[in-house]
Amino acid sequence: MSTITISNLHKRYGSVAAVDGVTLEIPTSSVFGILGPNGAGKTTIFKCMLNLAQPNAGAIRYEGRPLSAPLFERIAYVPERSVLYDWMTIAEHLEMNRRAYATFDSGRAGELLEQFNVDRRKRARALSKGMRTAAMVAFAFARNAEVLILDEPTGGLDPVNQRHVLSLMINEAARGNSVIFSSHQIGQVERAAERIAIVDRGRLVLEGLVDDLKADRKIVEGIFPDTRFRLDGIADDARVARTDRTERIVRLLVTAGADEIAQRLSGTGATAVRVLDLNLEDIFLYAVSPATATTDVIAEERVL
Amino acid sequence: MPAVLTVDPRSGVPIYLQIIEQVKRSVALGVLQAGEQLPTVKQLSIDLTVNPNTVARAYRELEREQVIETTPGRGSFVRPDGVAESPRVAADIGRAALTAALREAKAVGLGRDETRALFEAVLERWFPTEST
Repeated sequence: MSTITISNLHKRYGSVAAVDGVTLEIPTSSVFGILGPNGAGKTTIFKCMLNLAQPNAGAIRYEGRPLSAPLFERIAYVPERSVLYDWMTIAEHLEMNRRAYATFDSGRAGELLEQFNVDRRKRARALSKGMRTAAMVAFAFARNAEVLILDEPTGGLDPVNQRHVLSLMINEAARGNSVIFSSHQIGQVERAAERIAIVDRGRLVLEGLVDDLKADRKIVEGIFPDTRFRLDGIADDARVARTDRTERIVRLLVTAGADEIAQRLSGTGATAVRVLDLNLEDIFLYAVSPATATTDVIAEERVL
Repeated sequence: MPAVLTVDPRSGVPIYLQIIEQVKRSVALGVLQAGEQLPTVKQLSIDLTVNPNTVARAYRELEREQVIETTPGRGSFVRPDGVAESPRVAADIGRAALTAALREAKAVGLGRDETRALFEAVLERWFPTEST
């Protein structure tokens, strides 16, 4: 059964189409990763899912029903920007959450704050970005929610705490809940997410099981004796998503049938033909416009 | 079960295939023995920090290939005949490695005879013929 269906979602801000016709199914008992360059529309999708933004068209349904107040109780959200009150201590925030949500587990929240080393006597303004993220994550995971929507839930965290957040997400999926998260750190998405969606400029450009995307998408590379070579229609094959030629080298991005295409490439006179695996970062970079994607990813990966 | 499983999520090889390969290898090497219990899907997914459905997919495939069996409520175990199959698994692992090596030899432009000569030389180093 799929918990959340997003159908043909459109959201405009003025003349900008932040989300431009996105359709997604987010299953239960799973971690779902949303990837995209800055400004791709990830946060807007999350806001529409939570009714914090009104879509211009399209629908979002939870188990076939639109979002309602009782459903809202079962969803926990960690926004990308801090929503903690600067003047309140973390202990006061904990108390506020306890009063706001019937299913909030104060004991669990306390444990999580301790694991993340968040000093609950401190006011929010005295905490670093990472500690604020950690506090929001701790409160979200103490909610006993069935759906967790996490926008950059590891922002500013050190590697140990980042891994801890991934473990918490995986634990929720193992308990049957749905986790939807976005991250610029592709390695985290690759590790924790079963299924991913890549959005770029408001549109869905790729969606699927991470393992299936890796199994199917390959680079077939061939090197020719000289620059005058013909591909005999290989580039027109429906399974060849992209062809890059530089001098004597041709690189084909294939979406299936890599071995067969490699054989055909050998048949055209290529001397060295290789089939190369792609990791999620490669898949991401091929899926989005390279200029935006490259700067985005490299800048964020340096954080690790 | 000994902590023998590791995955490299950044590799281009799907994680579920990495788990399958490692369980088979552990069985072939005797690190995992007949009747030995594997961690639960949930436990292994937490240990490896990978999605539980990915682990479940690997276990389903290992069941289908009759390497392990799962009894509801008890867990997953290495099948006795899973271990009996280990020579075949070892042959599969060897074949895959040789295939990769020969593909590479072809890719760098070596001919059949040159490749055979190299193979014989390497074979002699690792499996010396008895001098007596």
